[in-house]
Amino acid sequence: MRVVIAEDAAVMREGLIRLLTDRGHQVPAAVADAEALLAAVAEHRPDAAVVDIRMPPTHTDEGLRAALELRRDHPGTGVLVFSQYIETRYAAQLLEENAGGVGYLLKDRVADVAEFVDALARVAAGGTALDPEVVGQLLRASRHPDGLAALTPRERDVLTLMAEGRSNAGIAGALVVTAGVVEKHVASIFGKLELPPSEGDNRRVLAVLRYLRP
Amino acid sequence: MGSTGRVTTVTTGSPLPSGGGAPFAALVGAALREPFGRRARHELLFCLVGGVQLWLCLLGVPAVVFGLAWLSVMLGQAHGGSLPPVSIAAAAAGTIAVALLLVLAAPCARRLGAAHRRLAARLLGDTVPAPPPVRPGRSLVGRLGAGLRDAAGWRAMAYLLLKLPVAVFELYAVFLAAGVINLTYPFWWGMFRNHPPEVQLRPVLALTPFPGRVLHVGTFPGTFLAVAVGAAMVLVAPWVSRAAVSADRWLIRGLLGPGRLAQRVRDLEATRARAVDDSAALLRQVERDLHDGAQVRLAALAMNLGMAKEKLGDDGDPLDLRQARHLVDAAHHGAKGALIELRDLARGIHPPVLDNGLADALATLAAGSAIPVELTTDVPVRPTPAIETIAYFCAAELLANAAKHSHANKITIGVASREAVLLLTVTDDGAGGADPDRGSGLSGLAHRVSTVDGRLDVASPPGGPTRITVELPLRA
Repeated sequence: MRVVIAEDAAVMREGLIRLLTDRGHQVPAAVADAEALLAAVAEHRPDAAVVDIRMPPTHTDEGLRAALELRRDHPGTGVLVFSQYIETRYAAQLLEENAGGVGYLLKDRVADVAEFVDALARVAAGGTALDPEVVGQLLRASRHPDGLAALTPRERDVLTLMAEGRSNAGIAGALVVTAGVVEKHVASIFGKLELPPSEGDNRRVLAVLRYLRP
Repeated sequence: MGSTGRVTTVTTGSPLPSGGGAPFAALVGAALREPFGRRARHELLFCLVGGVQLWLCLLGVPAVVFGLAWLSVMLGQAHGGSLPPVSIAAAAAGTIAVALLLVLAAPCARRLGAAHRRLAARLLGDTVPAPPPVRPGRSLVGRLGAGLRDAAGWRAMAYLLLKLPVAVFELYAVFLAAGVINLTYPFWWGMFRNHPPEVQLRPVLALTPFPGRVLHVGTFPGTFLAVAVGAAMVLVAPWVSRAAVSADRWLIRGLLGPGRLAQRVRDLEATRARAVDDSAALLRQVERDLHDGAQVRLAALAMNLGMAKEKLGDDGDPLDLRQARHLVDAAHHGAKGALIELRDLARGIHPPVLDNGLADALATLAAGSAIPVELTTDVPVRPTPAIETIAYFCAAELLANAAKHSHANKITIGVASREAVLLLTVTDDGAGGADPDRGSGLSGLAHRVSTVDGRLDVASPPGGPTRITVELPLRA
């Protein structure tokens, strides 16, 4: 996988480069601001870009704006936005049109290297990777509290993992159950929430997020 | 405390030239040039406009009121015997006139005062802030009452009354300046006085410094006397006007401003706004420091440890001790860096040693300075924590400033309390030339000090030494 990194803290940037190259991925460019990111993506056409939200010059949301621009201009590049805080508004902006090829994670998640790289690979392949924190906020602010209340605790776990963008296999791995059990839970959830059955992880994430959207 | 938070700069200028004829000549030259300067022109214009306006208004307003009263009496008389006697009508009219005067006096004085204030601002460059506006009542009675209770309006009235004698001098200065007319006499004498010798003409009149008296000029040489008198008048005029204007400025500042209480409220509002802004900015800075510093370091550290875990064969990955050691090393390094950053940040928010008192805190500060510091403390009564904190951060900032800009060899810090005042002085033997107006940290310090009614004085002539005095109340 070829990944462009945009992160203004050198220690983090170097760490990410190391983390990715160590696992056999390529990092054709690692930059420190949004403008350089746009140029690097246009030049290298990577599979994915890891984008910090707060970058120079204003240290507010230039990373997010660059990410939205990348989503519009380079649909082939997955965008993984990561930051030290989760803002629901930013998540909503990122997911506005579709949930494919996009991720939004807390920076803390890099501590679990395998999971982080997994999430990045999912985003690069056109999937979704939402931070549990984002999903938690969405669940709390959902407009369908009744539908969610009808779920069993286990189904809620599965729904959360689905919203994070994981496949059935991924969910099974995380909950230490078989794929068959996950499938059953998923079917039950879709029944209870009256969601149309959807094929493919991507469409499924979209259906779930649409349901959860406040 | 009218001007809290202002930074006063004292710089010793070039020494005065001592004795000799040259300075005297310079003085005479300056005195001769003065009437033609811009300042003299503006002051004379101020005298003219202000004086004329004042006299017109103060004569005009009562004239209008008494005119109205007189009119009503006349109307009463016109109706003849069936109506109350004239004396009663006159009394009623008089009462109405006095009431009208009372109700209208303050609002009118306020407007006139505002005109004078603006005139002073435009011509003299003396900007005095306007008093707060009157809060008008809802009903008619309330509205009239508001005028009566308008302290600023009555102060303006006091100004107008006190200005009357000053205005006499101001107008006299204008009159003196009119002596310039005399200077023209020799020129037109030749044009208009070329009659045959037997024609008897009355002497022409010229101005003298005494308004009631005129000079009779009957001969051509006589015009030169007029010129001499005129020249003297013109030369004296700016000094008379300056004296009168000085008195006037004093009155304006004292009576046309917002008043002591309102000024105090204004100062407090300004310093409160600054204090609120400062604390918001401080919190933002702390967030920023955490975000860009310790948080990043800890995230990178977690990442390194995560990678190291994998190298140690976690999750069935191949064991690679060399790499793992390298990663743990980086994590160790990062943890130490994060600790240092957190400690610096915490100390920047509140130095723990300050809990032991200002003397200890300043001693610690002095010990860490790159330039040798001599510290003397004499604070028998402990100030409140807020004051100690401000004093400490002032000292820290001043020390840092001195280390950065002064090239000094020695710095002296003195802290002493005198009655209810804490006095902090930081002196260095460096290059001097510290200017609080050039956006240095000094103006920021002055703001901070002003939030507790303190003041910051800077004495930093070019070439040094620099002496900065911070005065704080012991309790805030």
